[in-house]
Amino acid sequence: MSAWHRITALARKDAAELLRNPGATVPAFLMVLGALFPGFLVVIGAPMIAGRSLEESGDFAEEAAQAIASMPELAGLSGNALIQAFLFHQFSLFLLLVPVVAASALATHAVIGEKQSKALEPLLATPISTTELLAAKTLTPFVFALGLTWLAAGLYIAGIVIAGEPGVWRTVLGPRTFIMFMVVGPLVELVALQVSVIASSRANDPRSAQQLTSLLILPITAAFVAQLMGTFVIAAPGLLLGAAALAALNVALLAIGVRVFARESILTRWR
Amino acid sequence: MAADLLAADRLTRAFGDRVAVRDLSLSVQAGEIVALLGPNGAGKTTTMRMLAGLILPDAGTITVAGTVVSRDTANQARRSIGLLTETPGLWERLTVRANLLTYARLHELDNPDSQVTRVLDLVGLADRAGDIAGKLSKGLKQRAAIARALIHRPPVVLLDEPTSGLDPASARHVRDLIGELRRDRRAVLVSTHNLSEAEQLADRIAVLKTELLAFDTPAALRTRGDGIEVSIEFEDGSRHLATVRELAEVADLVHTLVRDGRRVVRVTPDRRSLEDVYLSLVGAEP
Repeated sequence: MSAWHRITALARKDAAELLRNPGATVPAFLMVLGALFPGFLVVIGAPMIAGRSLEESGDFAEEAAQAIASMPELAGLSGNALIQAFLFHQFSLFLLLVPVVAASALATHAVIGEKQSKALEPLLATPISTTELLAAKTLTPFVFALGLTWLAAGLYIAGIVIAGEPGVWRTVLGPRTFIMFMVVGPLVELVALQVSVIASSRANDPRSAQQLTSLLILPITAAFVAQLMGTFVIAAPGLLLGAAALAALNVALLAIGVRVFARESILTRWR
Repeated sequence: MAADLLAADRLTRAFGDRVAVRDLSLSVQAGEIVALLGPNGAGKTTTMRMLAGLILPDAGTITVAGTVVSRDTANQARRSIGLLTETPGLWERLTVRANLLTYARLHELDNPDSQVTRVLDLVGLADRAGDIAGKLSKGLKQRAAIARALIHRPPVVLLDEPTSGLDPASARHVRDLIGELRRDRRAVLVSTHNLSEAEQLADRIAVLKTELLAFDTPAALRTRGDGIEVSIEFEDGSRHLATVRELAEVADLVHTLVRDGRRVVRVTPDRRSLEDVYLSLVGAEP
């Protein structure tokens, strides 16, 4: 229990520091709004502005009907509701940017903040092990970013309940959404966290470290664009495949992270 | 004889091809203050880090309060060590109390709140406990950092440049605190560039330049090499210069001169300063 005691002691301290650091928290909160906006703009805003429903415009109708084969939760819907549900599922992938950006913003500040205030050496002089230190440095950003991801998911669903056609929101509560926010989201976030922590060991300011982490946005954006271009939705099996790849990547990053967080490395190699 | 609370035996540590510390042996007893002197790049920080269990030596052994430091025992050894790093390294967005409370928890102390209060009283920061650490003056930050190093009542205290950059009043306050550590029977190792501070505080001084060049009391160090020059003035106005190895020999010298009928009016030992000794040891031009 003493290891957990030390990890939580440091994680509590990190949480208190993050709450006093708008430079870390504001980008994370802005990302939540940024990730929610495009879906509602396309599905609700654009038809409202155009004065025609999605069904009337004829866009996406065929693709939405085809999507029922891979997403049984869409069955039972038709017309405008089916198209809305199809698009809301496509745009939900965008919400995976929240754990990436939030984790990156929070973790880089948590590690580089220690470097900038030269607080790592006295910390390393305590009985904390370097594995505990690594765990503590990722715990607070993990909890914060996961909370924001789930907040974004909650707001997304709430927005669909309020603005979507009746019945659309029920389709979003299916296994696909569960896998996305309960499995893929945390795994994506862990990758972002570990990359951020490793990058932070070599950088002297959070922005430089975040540049490397921002590369993680590319595969998510690519998957999102592929969905739009190919007019399909990555369904539950596809997400599970992605989750397996992310889990493997996390194991590899953990091995690197433990090596980077060795006491001697921190004191002699970190810049 | 008091036991060594901190002992280093033939420590060597290299980084790549560069040897930072070679064959260093020193010890600090309970209630003793040892000053570690050396020019920049002499290996003082590496030595401090090895003694604090932060990095391991390539060769040699370190014993801290009876524990031989190894990869397996380093965590245990660190429980017996309080380290003041060269910069205070406080979490500047948090209050002084929050800083110390985190360390009390990391050391798994009972009643962390009361331990924080105790150590704040010790360093005279009780009335500043609620201040944001980043807004404190340099002297107060240093006191907070000392409080952090002492929160777990370590028997061994390592202080790296404790008065560096402080105004005279703050530096004096810190020196007083270090003096209290001696009265508390802690073993204290102070790394410093300040020779007069070392002379004032330390029971023994270690001069390091990759290797240990000297390790002795300040008085003994001053008599190294050429000894003590003594100027003797006689009633007729003449002067005699003599060199003795230690001050006790001056009495014998005066006795011999008086027995020979010389009328001695003044004897002035021209003691070498610690600075002279230090500079000659490290091979630097004054």
